[in-house]
Amino acid sequence: MAGFSMRPCGDFRTTYRQDTRIFDTTFVRNAAILGIVAVGLIPFVLDGYYVNLFIQISYFAIAALGLNILVGFTGQISLGHAAFFGFGAFASAWINNHTGIPVLLSIPLAGLVTAAVGLLFGLPAARIKGLYLAIATLAAQFILEDFFARADWFTGGSYGAAANPVNVFGYEVTDDFSFFYVCLFFLVIMYVLGSNLIRSRDGRAFVAVRDHYLSAEIMGINLTKYRLLSFGVSSFYAGVGGAIYGHYLGYVSAEGFTILLSIQFLGMIIIGGLGSVKGALMGTVFMVLLPEVMETGVSALSVFDWANSTAVTDGLAYIKEMAIGLAIILFLIFEPDGLAHRWQQIRAYWKLYPFSY
Amino acid sequence: MKKLIAATAMIATGLSVGAAKAEDSVFVGHLMDITGATGFIGKFYADGVRDALSYINENGGISGTPLEFESVDYAYKVPQAIANYKKWRSRNNMIAMQGWGTGDTEALISFVAKDEVPVFSASYSGHLTDPTGKNPKTAKPAPYNFFYGASYSDACRAMVQWAAKDWKDKGGEGKPVFSHIGDNHPYPNAPKEACAEYANELGFEVTSPVVVSMKPGDFKAQCLTLKEAGTDYGYLGNLGPSVVSLVKSCGTVGVDPTWLANIWAGDYETLKTIGDVDNYVFPVMTSFWTDEGVPGMDLVRKISMESDKSGKEFRTHHYIRGICSVYYMKEAMEWAKENGGITGANIKKGMYARTDWVPKGLEGVCMPATWTAEDHRGINTVNIYSGEAHGGDIKVTKLETVTLPRRDDWLGY
Repeated sequence: MAGFSMRPCGDFRTTYRQDTRIFDTTFVRNAAILGIVAVGLIPFVLDGYYVNLFIQISYFAIAALGLNILVGFTGQISLGHAAFFGFGAFASAWINNHTGIPVLLSIPLAGLVTAAVGLLFGLPAARIKGLYLAIATLAAQFILEDFFARADWFTGGSYGAAANPVNVFGYEVTDDFSFFYVCLFFLVIMYVLGSNLIRSRDGRAFVAVRDHYLSAEIMGINLTKYRLLSFGVSSFYAGVGGAIYGHYLGYVSAEGFTILLSIQFLGMIIIGGLGSVKGALMGTVFMVLLPEVMETGVSALSVFDWANSTAVTDGLAYIKEMAIGLAIILFLIFEPDGLAHRWQQIRAYWKLYPFSY
Repeated sequence: MKKLIAATAMIATGLSVGAAKAEDSVFVGHLMDITGATGFIGKFYADGVRDALSYINENGGISGTPLEFESVDYAYKVPQAIANYKKWRSRNNMIAMQGWGTGDTEALISFVAKDEVPVFSASYSGHLTDPTGKNPKTAKPAPYNFFYGASYSDACRAMVQWAAKDWKDKGGEGKPVFSHIGDNHPYPNAPKEACAEYANELGFEVTSPVVVSMKPGDFKAQCLTLKEAGTDYGYLGNLGPSVVSLVKSCGTVGVDPTWLANIWAGDYETLKTIGDVDNYVFPVMTSFWTDEGVPGMDLVRKISMESDKSGKEFRTHHYIRGICSVYYMKEAMEWAKENGGITGANIKKGMYARTDWVPKGLEGVCMPATWTAEDHRGINTVNIYSGEAHGGDIKVTKLETVTLPRRDDWLGY
């Protein structure tokens, strides 16, 4: 019976192996597999708009998980994640255009190149922390943005770079329907890898560095190595997410990777829950859907005559923009541990129901 | 993953809005930026597009076919632009779109080409003018992208051509000095090389570009660089507030070249904000609100009353450009209706059906334009105006009309 419940009553884990399983129980694992299959049916059931939203969620969620590994798990900070996201997009386009390596391979390769760049910018991270580090990563954002506009050989400069569509065994993925599965493939792999990393020796070292760097050092953890590694892994995720984004649009322009996007990534992991793999996904879902839900709300008002004047529609546009800021503030006040924490509480409530203790 | 299913179910129930639409109407999406990075000029242009679409809708639609449209403020965020595009495409069967900036227009190039949805944007990047990728410099051909006006590159070339003449007329000796001034950003950079090359060709001495942030601030240091370089003609690649700060900063340190502003940085509002300037030259692609005796202005004034019943509100030429953009689309749609039905592909053909045409009713307002399947430089003629402002007194005078050759090496560049 135990296998069918979300978690058996009492905690029977007696080995470290049991304690660090990716899925708590067989039930959770099966549910997750079923969940992926169900998500795989989306393009058959829902229209192109939802498919596009899912695609957006997947490339942003991959990058957000990277940032969560850096910020949430290792306790570092980065204000330059969007620049790494952009670097991945340009790198993948460049690798594919100049070497002819198929897009499916150039995406992870772009991740590796971005990881190398991340390591470079992460070097100061080995020595500095807190505000100083925030400023150092901010510099990375500006340096890379400037690089995008200048490095004609790599990014096409102001003109941007063309990115070829994904090609799987001669079949060109040009529509959203097929691209959805490419995204699902990468999303699942990157999230499984992320979950796995966190329960590994290195992942635990990240957490130790975050919780108390002095204790971690006394325990024999090489702080420099793990802080750098965390930057590398984080940039790898950003690079893969950016590469998918680039190949989805078919065109990469330097304009899209500003500090605002970096802040949006931070918003995603704060709303989702710092230091939680599923939190990164939940936060991304929230941040991608919020403007859409607001937009739907605003356009639903247009059935009323009063809402059709220019003054009102313009006013609503401002309210829509402000709502995103408001949502972040409300989360910081009322749900500082993010959506992942709320989800745990909902689970705990049902597990213990009707006894809430 | 369970959460993902739950979330998806939530979206499905929460977001579904019945998309009831009349069978025989056609839908046009309208992306505008009124709250984002380019909102201060985006608003003027968006008002023009919105008013024109409403006016058409209330006055017979497309030869009797009702026009449906939705204006969405995407705040200059590319993901929102893509999501809206996909929504309109899958739910409203959108057949054409009025777009806005460089970011969204470029992000959508591949999608609109595949879906055959003509996009009329306000991004005048030269590389949107090559529909077939004939020029080897074109990163990506843009077969379904159109815009009303001269490209940024062509507008700058026209001003440089004017400047060369101006230098001679003033009896200038030696080589005049030309500088590009703008942020290191795709938008100011769009005409940078193209324009510098042409300036070189015409005998200018071209200095290194001077980088000035897109965000307004104190730019005296940059002005001193211009002073040292001895700039005679400075191209202003940035948008309004940044340009205003720059011109003011330069006024303070006594740098007074002839300013060549890009199309978004030259209008009555900008001159009013600068307050005190001579030698401010900018390209204009339509009539001005204050122009009298232009037959097409009657229609513009009627359209303007859609959002301003009094009809007294002052409109910038950005607003009027929005109207032209919509009316070229409207006539292409009318052509499509007579020639096989209003579909994206037919609207594109409609754009090629005539040469040197002006939409009916807008004579004198929009300039004659020609698009071909090989060349999307609709307009290669640029009206050059000069502006002066002294203590709230603004004087705008027309200097010249420059017609540029349609050189092959300029296509898509």
